[in-house]
Amino acid sequence: MDLSLTQDDIKFRDEVRAFLKDAVPPDMKRSQALTTGFSSEPEVAAGFHKSLVKKGWSVPSWPRQYGGTEWTPVQSYIFDTECARAGAPIYNGAGQRMVGPVLLKYGTDAQKQKYLPGIVSGDDHWAQGYSEPGSGSDLASLKTRAISDGDDYIVNGQKIWTTFGHKSNRLFALVRTSTEGKRQEGISFILLEMNTPGITVRPIVGNGGDHEFNEVFFDNVRVPKSGRIGEENKGWEVAKYLLEFERGGALQAGRVRAQFTKLVKLVQARCPDDQAVISKLAELGTDLDAMEMIDISTLSALQSGANPGPVSSLLKLRWSQLRQDISELAVDAIGADALKFIPERPLFESLQLPPDEEEMLTQTPRYLNFRAYTILGGTSEIQTGILAKAMLGL
Amino acid sequence: MDLQYDSAHKILRETAERFLSEKYDFRTFRKTVDSDAGYSPDVWATFAEMGWLAMPFSEEDGGLGGGAVEVAILMECFGKNLVVEPYLASVVLGGGLIATLGTPAQKAELLGPLVEGKTKLAFAHDNRAPTKATLRGNDYVIAGAKAAVLSAPMADTLLVSATLTNGTTGVFVVPVTSSGLVLRPYRSVDGNRLADIELTDVFVPGPALLGGNGDATQAIAAVIDRAIAAMSSDAVGAMSAMVTQTIEYTKMRVQFGQPLSKFQLLAHRMVDMRVAEEEARASCLLATLSLDGPADRRTRAVSGAKAKIGRNSRFVAQQAIQTHGAIGTTEELPLGAFAKRCLAYEIMFGSTREHLRRYSAVIADPALASAGLLLEPASA
Ligand SMILES: Cc1cc2nc3c(=O)[nH]c(=O)nc-3n(C[C@H](O)[C@H](O)[C@H](O)COP(=O)(O)OP(=O)(O)OC[C@H]3O[C@@H](n4cnc5c(N)ncnc54)[C@H](O)[C@@H]3O)c2cc1C
Repeated sequence: MDLSLTQDDIKFRDEVRAFLKDAVPPDMKRSQALTTGFSSEPEVAAGFHKSLVKKGWSVPSWPRQYGGTEWTPVQSYIFDTECARAGAPIYNGAGQRMVGPVLLKYGTDAQKQKYLPGIVSGDDHWAQGYSEPGSGSDLASLKTRAISDGDDYIVNGQKIWTTFGHKSNRLFALVRTSTEGKRQEGISFILLEMNTPGITVRPIVGNGGDHEFNEVFFDNVRVPKSGRIGEENKGWEVAKYLLEFERGGALQAGRVRAQFTKLVKLVQARCPDDQAVISKLAELGTDLDAMEMIDISTLSALQSGANPGPVSSLLKLRWSQLRQDISELAVDAIGADALKFIPERPLFESLQLPPDEEEMLTQTPRYLNFRAYTILGGTSEIQTGILAKAMLGL
Repeated sequence: MDLQYDSAHKILRETAERFLSEKYDFRTFRKTVDSDAGYSPDVWATFAEMGWLAMPFSEEDGGLGGGAVEVAILMECFGKNLVVEPYLASVVLGGGLIATLGTPAQKAELLGPLVEGKTKLAFAHDNRAPTKATLRGNDYVIAGAKAAVLSAPMADTLLVSATLTNGTTGVFVVPVTSSGLVLRPYRSVDGNRLADIELTDVFVPGPALLGGNGDATQAIAAVIDRAIAAMSSDAVGAMSAMVTQTIEYTKMRVQFGQPLSKFQLLAHRMVDMRVAEEEARASCLLATLSLDGPADRRTRAVSGAKAKIGRNSRFVAQQAIQTHGAIGTTEELPLGAFAKRCLAYEIMFGSTREHLRRYSAVIADPALASAGLLLEPASA
């Protein structure tokens, strides 16, 4: 057993580093560093996506025939870690990591042909329409109704918390196609165009000042049945498959470490003698090492073909907590500077200050927005419930 | 990078678990702890027969050529089963020092009887008073005092660290029967035996200095890090036992007409405990696999593990006790002994807070703070 990279891994890492040097120019890096929400602004990510497309790396986790790279788990880890270190934007999450895998597994050939290329190229921006005002953790209670009308569905109802619904041209959604039998057995998974008549998007601004999520209303929206993934009333299985990718999947250790490294520098600059902060910082470092080690162990299991078990819920619990803890300590570390609040977004457009002053202004919004990490993608309580069953047999 | 246990590892773990679950139950533990010797000579002889005492030493030194991973597997089983035999003191610390520092002649003389179970060692390092060794003719004269020497009461031979006249540190082989050596034995909270030691002009022959005149400071630090990693595995074993016993207990204990495990609050608490255990296991593996890596990485991993596992084991022990109710506060269940074992873990070889400080000092270097855990091939 060992922790060492191979010579091939190093070669690959150097290739990724060389690529990132050009693909993440200073202004993009600044924009990302001044992003205070939990995702990157699509406009910022678009430039990065273009470079990835050129390099053939825009959907690395997919099979090669659809544009993927078929990297080993270690290579994916290296790529994600290096992207985070370089301060690259987070791109195309809903497309590459959510609806993409669903299309690959459940889509017809025609659907794959229609939808996959736009995800690879970055021309399509996807949003996720799962949650509703009355249906959060208890997703299967969803009510947005799709009634059959010839080759179409007529959709009525409402989604909420739709991240980047206002900047997406496509939406995947869960809708109720039957009210009989078990709740889970009346749900279908459908794909919509956001510009279809009858769809209205209303913004919701997060407590940190960022507009990321929205309400989406459906008023007699006509959706062709050719956009349904899987069979009618069998959408729950598809939805659950997608959640696996949303929760664990994406390696987070690199992102958390990049966030942690910034905090180390911040503490050194702002309160190098505050023993309470220093000691909390060290505790967070040990938390991060443990989490990264669990992450790498999972990779190693995948690499050797073993089943890593219910670890994606465990990792989600830990990384979400850690990202919050780091953002919280950052606020503690900067004292009264945490009071200054610039409401205009994006900050990379509204600010023109020395870099360290600009960075200071991101801490409070980030702390506030990052409260979302333990809620999105299945709350910590829900993950804990999953682990109680899967890990403790309760 | 490979973090999968191979089949030899699995066999070692199964063998150790089978032997200990059959031969080393809670009653054995209590009997052993209350015995005069504080360990079981029979069990120790079996450890020798199983080859466990030879595990970490190279084949040319008469060992099995195992590494830190094999030691970690054994230690986790020891922790899970409350083993109080002096494996850490004798094999990991004592044997480790001899293997690292000793000349071929010293290794041949000292490791042979150790792996056969004929002698036991203890490492007298932490000073109660400055300990010095002065050359007088062909002999060294050692004077000073040592504190809380693990397993010294059952050792035949002590390895005593002392400052030499030139200011460097040496490690001396000192039989416990040496004149001028006084042991004050006592029990540790976890059932282990400790001793404070006074050395008043203890004479040892020149060849008792391990490895000649080079400074032993680095070697001592490396061996102590090795011991901390091993002891961390022991703590992970103890944590794992507490979590499992708590889950089993709540499935069985009925209040308000249902098993306690049905209450969401308790189920979630037990998930938190298991997650804390998994984190501890991961930190421990990181430490174990970093022992031969670059020094700053080793420090980050070992002190990080000690600090993290100290914190998590305290959490697990306290939650386990709370979740058992009154019975959790007693000596009746193994739980009490596991909690005490974790308490001792937190204190020995540098407290949780001391290691957090040491970790803090290393990660103050942003290059290290930002470095992931995988290592460059050259340095691995
Ligand atoms: C930043 C962000 C972005 C999001 N983006 C999207 C998106 O793009 N598309 C989308 O569809 N959704 C999105 N969501 C919604 C997200 O999936 C839901 O917020 C989440 O599923 C929780 O639902 P809820 O907010 O209604 O909370 P509720 O389910 O009402 O839960 C409230 C509290 O009760 C707890 N709770 C609920 N049930 C239980 C139980 N059985 N036992 C114990 N505790 C329980 C929860 O853990 C939580 O603490 C987003 C959310 C956030 C915060």
